[in-house]
Amino acid sequence: MSVREAAREVGLRLAAASRLNAALAWSEAALLAEADRVDGMPARGALHGMPIAVKDNLVTTGLPTTCGSRMLAGYVSPFVATAVDRLRAAGALLACKTNLDEFAMGSSTEHSAFGRVLHPLDPERVPGGSSGGSAALVAAGVVPAALGSETGGSVRQPASFCGVVGVKPTYGRVSRYGLVAFGSSLDCISVFGRTVADAALVLAEIAGADPRDATTVDRAPFRPQPASATLEGITIGVPKEYFPPDLHPGVQAACDASLGRMKELGARLVDVSLPHAPFAVPAYYIIAPAEAAANLARFDGARYGARARGDGDVRAMYRATRGNGFGPEVRRRILIGTYVLSAGYQDAYYARAQAVRARIAADFTDVFATGVDFLFTPTTPTPAFKAGEKIADPVAMYLADIFVCSANLAGIPAVSIPIGRFEGLPLGGQLMAPHFEEAAMLAAAATLERHLDGTKEVAP
Amino acid sequence: MNVSEQDVLHMARLAELAVDPDDLETLTVQLDRIVGFVGQLAGAGDLAARVLHPDGPERTPLRPDVVNPAPLARPPSAFAPEFIDGFFVVPKLGVIEDA
Amino acid sequence: MTWESVIGLEVHVQLGTRSKMFCGCSTSFGDAPNTNVCPVCLGLPGSLPVPNAEAVRLAARAALALECTVHEVSVFARKNYFYPDLPKGYQITQFDRPLSTGGRLAIESADRGAVEISIVRLHLEEDAGKLLHDRVPGHTAVDLNRAGVPLAEIVGAPDLRSPAEARAYLLALRQILVYAGVSECSMEKGSLRVDANLSIRRPGGQALGTRTEIKNLNSFANVERALEVECARQQALVEAGGTVEQVSLTFSAASGQVRAMRSKEESRDYRYFPDPDLPPLVLSVDWIDSVRAELPELPAARRGRFAAAYGLSAYDAGVLTGERVIAEYFEAVTAAGVNPKTAANWIMGEAMTGYNEAGNFAVSPSGLAELAAMVQNGSVSLQAAKKIYAEMAASGKAAAAVAEHLGLLQIRDEEALAGWIDQALAAHPAEVARYRTGETKLLGFLTGQVMKQSHGKADPKGVQPLLMRKLESQ
Ligand SMILES: [Mg+2]
Ligand SMILES: [Zn+2]
Repeated sequence: MSVREAAREVGLRLAAASRLNAALAWSEAALLAEADRVDGMPARGALHGMPIAVKDNLVTTGLPTTCGSRMLAGYVSPFVATAVDRLRAAGALLACKTNLDEFAMGSSTEHSAFGRVLHPLDPERVPGGSSGGSAALVAAGVVPAALGSETGGSVRQPASFCGVVGVKPTYGRVSRYGLVAFGSSLDCISVFGRTVADAALVLAEIAGADPRDATTVDRAPFRPQPASATLEGITIGVPKEYFPPDLHPGVQAACDASLGRMKELGARLVDVSLPHAPFAVPAYYIIAPAEAAANLARFDGARYGARARGDGDVRAMYRATRGNGFGPEVRRRILIGTYVLSAGYQDAYYARAQAVRARIAADFTDVFATGVDFLFTPTTPTPAFKAGEKIADPVAMYLADIFVCSANLAGIPAVSIPIGRFEGLPLGGQLMAPHFEEAAMLAAAATLERHLDGTKEVAP
Repeated sequence: MNVSEQDVLHMARLAELAVDPDDLETLTVQLDRIVGFVGQLAGAGDLAARVLHPDGPERTPLRPDVVNPAPLARPPSAFAPEFIDGFFVVPKLGVIEDA
Repeated sequence: MTWESVIGLEVHVQLGTRSKMFCGCSTSFGDAPNTNVCPVCLGLPGSLPVPNAEAVRLAARAALALECTVHEVSVFARKNYFYPDLPKGYQITQFDRPLSTGGRLAIESADRGAVEISIVRLHLEEDAGKLLHDRVPGHTAVDLNRAGVPLAEIVGAPDLRSPAEARAYLLALRQILVYAGVSECSMEKGSLRVDANLSIRRPGGQALGTRTEIKNLNSFANVERALEVECARQQALVEAGGTVEQVSLTFSAASGQVRAMRSKEESRDYRYFPDPDLPPLVLSVDWIDSVRAELPELPAARRGRFAAAYGLSAYDAGVLTGERVIAEYFEAVTAAGVNPKTAANWIMGEAMTGYNEAGNFAVSPSGLAELAAMVQNGSVSLQAAKKIYAEMAASGKAAAAVAEHLGLLQIRDEEALAGWIDQALAAHPAEVARYRTGETKLLGFLTGQVMKQSHGKADPKGVQPLLMRKLESQ
């Protein structure tokens, strides 16, 4: 099949999946132009002709970048994100920009100014978030892979809800240049794939130091490894904090099945403890909003994006622009972030959260130092929940990320793979690894993936 | 009660965010709940001192002092809400800081 | 009642880099608005900062020149506030872990003699853009060419005791920074900017009064004037039973008055925190030592050396070390064989006039040495040499050629001198007779007559002995 034909088919699939509201900007003309560009490349890249959807907080010059916000409705960036540039240079087709929680703040993709994204298997439910549009398009078979971004699990959590693979690399592995910042010390461009191999292939292309991002790390290039036949010689830690007594029975059953399969494959399972895990979500909801409050200050109506007139001076313009341009969740987080950094509160909140974060990271280091290769946990505490279920209670929504946000705080890589279904809804299992151990982690995930039917209904 | 309506208004001023008076009460309740939730960290026990930079490289790379601006695919006039004679244009400053 | 003023200065200087602090845009001054901009300095969504190595080097250089300790680890922080000249809604600066702390600067105070002013800290930060209030009626126009230009902020301790000392501090600071090649320090171009804080107290008192801050003073003279005005305002206020409020002020040079910008209640909560886009700035001890080793000899040290080594007066040593270029020129001229006093006279005279106009020394050290030697050996008069110098500066020609061309070479040839002497004596027999009867003070008059006969070409040093011999030989 030619690249042009592939592009045309993606267009047909995107049109057919439009009810999901997962794709924001795309056009057949843009797709065909992408195909022609790839056909004109002097050599076949590693992603030759592969259509890839990109979360709409990664800037692109051809298609608008809205971040799911009224603030940036219609905004077309004058520069391209490094990750998108690298994908395209490897021969991938930029298929479309995908819907998200506004500025990536949310766990359900309900907080988009352009409407919520539907779960591909159940329109009543959410696909997870904030990269819900990318997850839904991969799950619906529209594209084999997509880029999302994580600040606190925003790829692994929707991957789990939608039944696809989600990989978060080590912080610093992938350039953030061109990723609209939310929580800069946590933000990680991450990858969805239908399989671990697809996700690994894409990750390998976008990884690597970037002179435009001072937080990228100059490491030997990441090379995907094939699945191995067994998990012989591998030690899997099972942290007790991730398996509370009241864990959802379906989630528990699916995890038990996965752990059993890993044991059969030769892995050694050990019980471990990450004592500061219970503080991950509160620490996260201080650090991420604090950084976000500063990162989103630039949306002031002065240089780009929406502007509301206000009535009078420049401050009136700022307040009106930001008051109208940001949705309720973004406004809440800006206010919280402002609060935890403000005079008199910074030590009790922000400084303490950073100290807790250091302890959370140290917990991982300690466990890995005992000879544990990877940790296995559920990705989410429940299957996909219903739209509207948590929208009125921000804290309940935040707790949807309880198992995923530690990896962001510690900067370590993690992957979620489908490990079964409960009442037809996908469930994800998570492997977490030491810094820069993506290759080994993904090889183990691929081994488990091969020996597990991720679509099988579990029996609690 | 961690957060009062006054606190919310103060934060909104610092963040240059208009708050609809009708939303103030609900917003205050939500923020109070969030601040209470994150306040759990008080129970995290004795902790080491704050880290300078939590993740990524231990030291910043430095770029050579070379003039090579990242190109703009379109000029500021293409994305600015108001652009006149080469300038971004915003409403005038308030009286107090008109200096 | 007398009062003592307690003054501290915060100075921002632009570091002399080609590109901006965190992006590759040019720092060139005076370009069309919003032409030296890119995603980073426009604060576009998705852009990220990467620090400029040269800015770090220059700031470290400045810190070491001011005898600060440069820290091996410092941290960039975000200072959060909204203002139309600030594209990201925060300024990247340094807060609780600055590049350097604890320096000092010696100044000469008219009241107190030599005093040392402590430097609290010197840190790196980025500049904001420029606002124009009269460009678009009723609106503010924003030019972001300057946004992101690297600055060193130098915070001086409140060790200054008068507006005149504040001025002396600034002049000394500028001198040292220009010497160290850190900054152009031009107030006109905005590459040196000053905020001053001032409080008053009874002389000898320890407690500090409430201080006010005068922002953005735009000339050395205005710093002194504004502080005088504010000092008088605070004194009058307190003497009338009022209290000083902590405010930020601006000074209008036109009206000579200060005006409040923001009251304390409005003062902002900047919510500083480490910039998560930038890992710590880590400098090795070896690197810091190498920057220190590259420092040129600084003004104070050079002043002392000039006085001692060249036997110059304190004043001359001060003038000759006023700028690095002048000092280096002086040393080159003396190295070319000119007596230091002679070199000082030349440089502080003719050469300085040209330097102040053109910004450089038009005559090479060896050219000036050649000219000085011609004066020394009597082939030209000092008077003539000044004319020759002007021509050398204008044409770039060598001294001998110019002297020849202008006919200014002095004649010492005894035969020629004897001819002019004979003519002069013949023309003034009465004076010759009076001289010979003991009126020897007429020697000067007769010498002048000989010079006149020669149309100034005779070397007076050659004329006198010969003239005396002739007068006494009869
Ligand atoms: Mg400053
Ligand atoms: Zn720039």
